[in-house]
Amino acid sequence: MRQEVVLAMLAKEPSHGYQLRARLREALGPLGDAMNAGHIYVTLTRLEKAGLVAVEVPADGADRSDRKAYGLTPDGQQRVAEWIAEVSWPKPDLAEFHLKLVAAASAGLADPLTVVDTQRRELLRRLRDAQRAAMAESARSNAALLLEGIVLRLQADLRWLEACEQNWTHRRSGS
Amino acid sequence: MSETADPPVLHARALRKEYGKGEGLVRAVDGVDLDIRAGETVAIMGPSGCGKSTLLHLLGGLDRPSGGEVLLNGRRIDNLSEKALARMRRTDVSYVFQSFHLMEELTAVENVELSALLAGCSPRTARRRAEELLDQLGLAGRSKFLPSALSGGQRQRVAVARALSNEPLVVLADEPTGNLDSAATLDVLQLFDELHEYGQTLVIVTHDARIAATADRMFSMRDGVLIDETRLTGGTNGKLGALVGLED
Amino acid sequence: MGRILLVVRLALRDLRQRRTEAALLMIAILAATTTLTLGLVLREAASDPYESTRAATNGPDVVAHVARPTDLALLEELATASGVTAHSGPYPVIAGRLQAAGRTSDVQVEGRDATIAAVDQPEVTQGSWVSGGQVVLEAAFADALDVNVGDPVTLGGKSFTVAGVAVTAAMPPHPAASCIVTTGCVNGAIPQGRNLPARLLHNPGLVWLTQAEVRSLALTQGPMSYVTNLKLADPGDTQAFVAANSGALIMQTWQDILAEATDLAKDSQILLLIGAWLLGLLAIASLSVLVGGRMADQTRRVGLLKAVGGTPGLVAAVLLAEYLLVALIAAAAGLVIGALTAPLLTESSAGLVGSAGTPSLTWSTIGLVTAVALGVAVVATAVPAVRGARSSTVSALANAARPPRRTGWLIAVSTRLPVPLLLTLRLTARQPRRVVLGVVSIGVTVSGIYVLLALNTFLGDQPGTGAYSEAQVIVLRHVLGVWMGVLLALAAVNAIVITWATVLDNRHSSALTRALGATPGEMSTALAVAQVLPAFAGAVLGLPGGFALFAAINAITGGDGDRAVLPSLWQLLTLVVGTVFAVAVLTTVPACIGGRRPVTETLQAEPA
Repeated sequence: MRQEVVLAMLAKEPSHGYQLRARLREALGPLGDAMNAGHIYVTLTRLEKAGLVAVEVPADGADRSDRKAYGLTPDGQQRVAEWIAEVSWPKPDLAEFHLKLVAAASAGLADPLTVVDTQRRELLRRLRDAQRAAMAESARSNAALLLEGIVLRLQADLRWLEACEQNWTHRRSGS
Repeated sequence: MSETADPPVLHARALRKEYGKGEGLVRAVDGVDLDIRAGETVAIMGPSGCGKSTLLHLLGGLDRPSGGEVLLNGRRIDNLSEKALARMRRTDVSYVFQSFHLMEELTAVENVELSALLAGCSPRTARRRAEELLDQLGLAGRSKFLPSALSGGQRQRVAVARALSNEPLVVLADEPTGNLDSAATLDVLQLFDELHEYGQTLVIVTHDARIAATADRMFSMRDGVLIDETRLTGGTNGKLGALVGLED
Repeated sequence: MGRILLVVRLALRDLRQRRTEAALLMIAILAATTTLTLGLVLREAASDPYESTRAATNGPDVVAHVARPTDLALLEELATASGVTAHSGPYPVIAGRLQAAGRTSDVQVEGRDATIAAVDQPEVTQGSWVSGGQVVLEAAFADALDVNVGDPVTLGGKSFTVAGVAVTAAMPPHPAASCIVTTGCVNGAIPQGRNLPARLLHNPGLVWLTQAEVRSLALTQGPMSYVTNLKLADPGDTQAFVAANSGALIMQTWQDILAEATDLAKDSQILLLIGAWLLGLLAIASLSVLVGGRMADQTRRVGLLKAVGGTPGLVAAVLLAEYLLVALIAAAAGLVIGALTAPLLTESSAGLVGSAGTPSLTWSTIGLVTAVALGVAVVATAVPAVRGARSSTVSALANAARPPRRTGWLIAVSTRLPVPLLLTLRLTARQPRRVVLGVVSIGVTVSGIYVLLALNTFLGDQPGTGAYSEAQVIVLRHVLGVWMGVLLALAAVNAIVITWATVLDNRHSSALTRALGATPGEMSTALAVAQVLPAFAGAVLGLPGGFALFAAINAITGGDGDRAVLPSLWQLLTLVVGTVFAVAVLTTVPACIGGRRPVTETLQAEPA
């Protein structure tokens, strides 16, 4: 899992490691079961070293001192904003994009629908190019077959984006 | 009109369309601004019920807006009489529909020549032009077929030929691939691409990403509003390899 | 129980969803049932009264009379002739003149006993039977003279009070009459410029007094004749009896009287029956348009119901319930309207036919009308139900509501015409059968009007020629008027029904044509002209049709066709132009509505 996912999960408010884990689990459902607790702490430590998160001492005294709360530094905040705006393809990580929407919505970093639109725009551009290339090929060439595969994958991704759009539209109007 | 070199063929400003009253009021189109330039292909995408078909009907004068204005080639059309609108549809705007809307009892060529006949062409000219169009659209051998004897893709080609028969300024297509399988969709895609090359101004309303991707510009529409404009040209900068991870 | 509820609910919902079609269907069936009721009621009115009067009065099989008192013995002899089972009389009869409230009429005065006679005891319908100083008038005569019970009249210079009004089967009702006085009578209109012998009775009425009063009147009024009413062992064989016993006796059989009594009624009945046939044809035309259209529609619905798990039985039950509902309402309304309109026709002919009451519905009429309405319902249900049960669900669903037909040459011809006519021809080419129905409907109507015009002219000439009296002409005119009214009403309903069905069936292609650039005006014009052209064809064809019909009527009634004055050329021209104009007016509203329907709704709602 990318560091930025963990960073983004902290964008809403400073959290303890266990809270962070719970939040991820909620967002990923059964897919989150496989998540290793140690991995999150390693990531947090690494982020702390990079100066993207800072450990905050709870204000109400020592009895909770064994549990550190992590919060974003200004650098961290900037990194998260960059990541949200980033369009990742050709290796779309569905979970990553999904968590991006969750984090964007919960922390109010961006409108999930805008994130969806941005992603779609990019995919459509690629679809257009792939399609033009496919139409230029003769129907039985090997390249045409490969391009057809790309077009179909892009279409599948676009369809999922449609589902995301509808889902987040509902949530927005529902809340 | 303005002095710009390239005035929009189709221009809509603050376009609104409402149905019903009070509690049941539906804002199908809720303040749309749109400029379409000559030779452009523009796609409007959105989930079903977002108002995109209604928008298309407003743009072609098939339906009247509740507010706002539509200009076709610099001329207001939203306040024209039904009669004037009909005359306008003969020559300036034509539609391609999802369910083809061919007359079942007319052969392909008779369907195509119908708009020309309505526009007052002589029967001979209308027939010649219809035959030519069917030729160009690859239906030369099928001009005497009834729609029921044609495949879905062929039917839509006939419908496109009909739409082109009076050389309209704008062709408005409503889900042109909505009733087609993937092979026929590709067929229609290619056709639209050819029209685009030829310089035909096209507005396509669709929820099919493939057909939207043939456009120069794409709008997303949600709840009667255009929310996002995308220029689709220059996606991979020619680096197709990136599409399959061969280039990074 | 639950199943029945389900069926009824589905049926009601369907009817509610297609209100216009349901209403039109109802009107068409209603027109048919009303017409049928009218025809049946009048048929009974025309044949029944004499029979019932004959039964009620113990009517004679043979009426014999002698002109001279010296021949009285012959009558007494006849009463004992073989084959006679009962008799009444001989009764004295004199000729006279009756004055009542300023009106005067010749009468035959028959002297009767106060006691009940074995044969021909006139049935008193108002007031009471003869007694001293009082007179009883035959019902139709009293009607014609507008005399009521209690009115004072003068007869042979003496004053009498009207005791009652009665019907008899021994003489045809006024203005017909069999002559039983010595002076002789003449019936019908008197040709102009001819003088009748002074003592001849003209259109005499029949009145009854006591025998004593007749005898006393005879002292001043002239010679008496005598009449005897006979009942035979074999009423069917009156001819043989007459042949065996004639001589100085003048005899009339009950068959003769029946023929005369129902003579005019027969003529009106033939008119009405022919009218009923024409109306029936019109009703069938509109029914087939509506039911046919709905059947095609229903085939699709059957598929839909089957697709959601309805058994063919359930589907058929829903369809049947729907049509039964419409048919029953239409039948009931038709019976009521028919029964209410019938008296308008027979009011004047009731007295004429000699019946006391007005015609009424009989069970057989009710049964037949209901059966016809239900028959329509069953046929309209059976065809789509069977078709739906046979066809696969998928193909029933895929079927367009009514696939348009292709008439290639019409389409080709239409390309050369201006846009509205082009659209008209294409509408026509899509539904050739409906066009034929339109032509037939108008053709039948125009034929009917042609006959009416001819008959009207014919009747207008009558008072001068003598076949019908003025009163009869009025009655026949009345019949023709009602005929004309119903015919025109039904033709109008038909024109609207056919236009509306055309509008409904073509809403998709109309919307599409308008999307392609036809103006609402062009579309409306096309829809209207598509009705007007068949109307013109129908009107033109209706003229020879009417000629043939008139010839047929003449043949059936034994009328003298040569004397008939056929409608003039300008009348025919007016008829054709008027028909086309009327159809144009009637179809304008539905055509305009059809031509202006919002395009987008139709295009989005219905697949091609």
